[in-house]
Amino acid sequence: MQSNRRCPSTAPRQQGVKTVSELLRVSNLDVRFDTARGLLHAVKDVSFNLEPGESLGIVGESGSGKTVLSRATMGLLTMSTAKKSGSVVLNDVEITKLSRSELRSKWGTEMAIVFQDPMTALNPVRRIGDQIAEGPRVRLGMSKKDAKQRAIELLKMVQIAEPEKVLKKFPLQLSGGMRQRVMIAIAIACNPKILFADEPTTALDVTVQAQILGLISSLRKQLNMSLILVTHDLGVVAGHTDKIAVMYAGEIVEMAPTKELFSNVRMPYTEALLNSIPRITNQSGIRLPVIEGRLPDPTLPQNGCGFSARCKYATEKCHTERPQLVDGGNGHMYRCFFPLGVNK
Amino acid sequence: MAGSGKAHIQGGEDVVLHVEDLVVEYRTAGNQKVQAVSGISLDLIKGETLAIVGESGCGKSTFGKAVMQIVAPKSGSVVFQGSDLMKSTKEELRQLRPKMQMIFQDPVSSLDPRFTVSKIVKEPLEIWSRGSDSEQESKIDELLNSVGLEPALVRERHAYEFSGGQCQRISIARALALDPEILICDEPVSALDVSVQAQILNLLQDMKDQYGLTMIFISHDLAVVKAVSTRVMVMYLGKVCEIGNPTDLYKNPRHHYTSALISAIPVPDPEFSISAQIIDGDPPSPTNPPSGCRFRTRCPAATELCAAEEPQLREMGGGNYVACHHPRD
Amino acid sequence: MLRNLGFFSKISFAWLSLMLFFAIAGPLLPLPDPSEFSDALGAGIFTSGHLLGTDLNGYDLFANIVVGSRNSLFIAIISVGLGSLLGGILGIAAGYLRGKTDYVLTIFFNIFLSIPNLILSLVLIAVLATSPDPTQTVADSRRLVVIIISLTIVIIPILGRITRGSTLAWTNAEFVVAAKSMGMKDLMIIRRHIIPNVLPSIYAVAFLAIGIVIVVEGALSLLGIGVGQGISWGSMLARSQGDLEYAPTSLFVPLTFLALTVIACNQIGDALRQHLDSRESKL
Repeated sequence: MQSNRRCPSTAPRQQGVKTVSELLRVSNLDVRFDTARGLLHAVKDVSFNLEPGESLGIVGESGSGKTVLSRATMGLLTMSTAKKSGSVVLNDVEITKLSRSELRSKWGTEMAIVFQDPMTALNPVRRIGDQIAEGPRVRLGMSKKDAKQRAIELLKMVQIAEPEKVLKKFPLQLSGGMRQRVMIAIAIACNPKILFADEPTTALDVTVQAQILGLISSLRKQLNMSLILVTHDLGVVAGHTDKIAVMYAGEIVEMAPTKELFSNVRMPYTEALLNSIPRITNQSGIRLPVIEGRLPDPTLPQNGCGFSARCKYATEKCHTERPQLVDGGNGHMYRCFFPLGVNK
Repeated sequence: MAGSGKAHIQGGEDVVLHVEDLVVEYRTAGNQKVQAVSGISLDLIKGETLAIVGESGCGKSTFGKAVMQIVAPKSGSVVFQGSDLMKSTKEELRQLRPKMQMIFQDPVSSLDPRFTVSKIVKEPLEIWSRGSDSEQESKIDELLNSVGLEPALVRERHAYEFSGGQCQRISIARALALDPEILICDEPVSALDVSVQAQILNLLQDMKDQYGLTMIFISHDLAVVKAVSTRVMVMYLGKVCEIGNPTDLYKNPRHHYTSALISAIPVPDPEFSISAQIIDGDPPSPTNPPSGCRFRTRCPAATELCAAEEPQLREMGGGNYVACHHPRD
Repeated sequence: MLRNLGFFSKISFAWLSLMLFFAIAGPLLPLPDPSEFSDALGAGIFTSGHLLGTDLNGYDLFANIVVGSRNSLFIAIISVGLGSLLGGILGIAAGYLRGKTDYVLTIFFNIFLSIPNLILSLVLIAVLATSPDPTQTVADSRRLVVIIISLTIVIIPILGRITRGSTLAWTNAEFVVAAKSMGMKDLMIIRRHIIPNVLPSIYAVAFLAIGIVIVVEGALSLLGIGVGQGISWGSMLARSQGDLEYAPTSLFVPLTFLALTVIACNQIGDALRQHLDSRESKL
């Protein structure tokens, strides 16, 4: 294993005026893919930022670009067909300009990711202990013995019973919930400042999901970590985030503090989404309101608002002009000419 | 928990399907015996939508497949249209197949990628030689229209060109081609996006009304189930916990597992206070289920009785039954 | 589809077409008789009116290549074709029916896979195509048939296992379960749903197998148990084994043709596999 100690970054320092407290600032991130069907515009000019200890939920359906966004932000897009532009500043360092080894030194130590499917994210032929200890050994230069202690400590933090026994096991011997906990342990092993969680509970049963989300929340507070939670489930973000960004067809269409988003929905898409979700609190046997139509084809250039074809409030202007993100006060941004609940 | 019992079996003329003491066993890779379904009985009433809910490993999908005899049950009886499917010959069973159809979880893989849509929907009609060629063609058009697809646009295209939601519509059209009596839906919307789920759920309701179907709706998502069902059965590790009408079950779940399930569901409303009854641990291994009540190892109200005796379903009033020694009030 | 082929695939396709042309139209071409002695011995390429030179017997190499292509290619194509057909049928049976059928067939496949194919061919030829009387040689046609049979037997388990694996995957696909639940009979399911989906994996491997078999035939000839009096690329190599010092072209020419043909087969097989994989990845 190549030793990859933290090397001092040789990247240029970010110049210019900016707030000191920001942990992560993403500006104008744009990702396009060269595919057989044409140029696929997956992420369109996305900007957002994250304070230390803050938790951001990125919500969208499949095809909204949320996964590509999180991968691109971390610098994990490995496909040669990807064209990426824009800036990502983490702790004052512009990470898009870093070399691969410099970027690698940031993974685990400053940002870490928890994936959706722990079965494919964990190496099935290596023991749990080895997989957890790898980070501390390689990134923090710990000795084998210290790394093992750290692994046990981490397993306790993710509430796994009998950590010494679990160290010796293989991923296949654990249940789905336990594997996800192991993934979380691996992610927090080097005390990252930001944790990306990409659909961390989608593959899990609902009772286990509740446990894992609770665990992530408590670890966040314990370690003062920021969290970017990427999911399609509005219920999940409602209980576990400080602010939410709603994505549709590669753009952020609404961003607001969580309570504000749910109580003052501005985007017709968000409203439609909230309405069409079956809920426990609904009456039974009712007909659910639907969002007609489908996502626009990401290989085709778009005129006007991406949601206009499906929006029940759409006007002529919506079909021809593309709305920009507007700040409506209270930290609430939206991309609509006729936002709900706002009198012109 | 889970016990079995037949208190909820009422019988009567409206019963379209009668399942008794169904047991499904299989062998794991390590050559151990696992009972996915451990003695479940059920009466399916004409016109109802019975939802079977539970988490992964509870046996709900296996139950659905066993009822359809896609998976061979070890013992028990499944009486449909006057005959016990377990005792029927292969040919007798095949003859009954058109009357009981299934919708599967993965919409894309439930369609042959090499077939065009018209070929997919036509297939059941061809197998059973229903009608002349032109009659079959117009039936295909009728079905495609019913499920909200424009025949002229979709007929000649291949399954892989469509989205998950559209594929599910095609599946539904195919299932309805033979005018079945019973439609078993195995997690039909779990693989679909949130905004598409509502479309398909509404579609299933419409089809049920239009074609006079009786439905069994299998899902792990309690919120989805509430929207469509007229009766709900909660399963855990191959046994039944609770069965009853949705309004009562959701407002006042009598079984501790049901209550934990309901409170674990994330609600898209930050003001909603979650009295999160987060149950600890993972489901026990199905190869070695706990004695007595199978849920007792994770149940906050477990006592010695729960370990000694398996609880049977008993009536709680209003058509609700629960299998628990100490049901919640 | 031809348009989408890459550069190397196009060349490979052209090469194979040329070889097939030789194999089919060989006798009609205006070439010298392959066993005609000529004055030029061990001539190099393009010398003395011989396109690819001659060997130490004066045989025109180009003529021998063209005639030899017939045996080399036909042996390969027939044995792979037959082997794929039989292996495919057995593989589908094993994969679809599972249970005892699968158990028995898998043992059968494994037994034959464990026998080195050269030994198998050797044994079969020794038993079936060699007369006990050393002075009486066995008819070439009989030799040929036995070679083809032995190579077919080698191919059957290879394709059988691949087909079985593919069948297993497709049988578990939900649309097959759906077909069963519609009341479709097993044979119809296999015909309509399993075979069309399994066939592509067979094609791709079959092409690769053709290349391998051409080489195996060459090896058999080198061992002296090849096509006997007939000519194949392998027999050309066998004949000129000892002539490396004095007539190197007589070795290099068949070698080159053999190698290029195998490379071309591999290339086409790979391209086919990629094309089919990418189609399926759309699903």
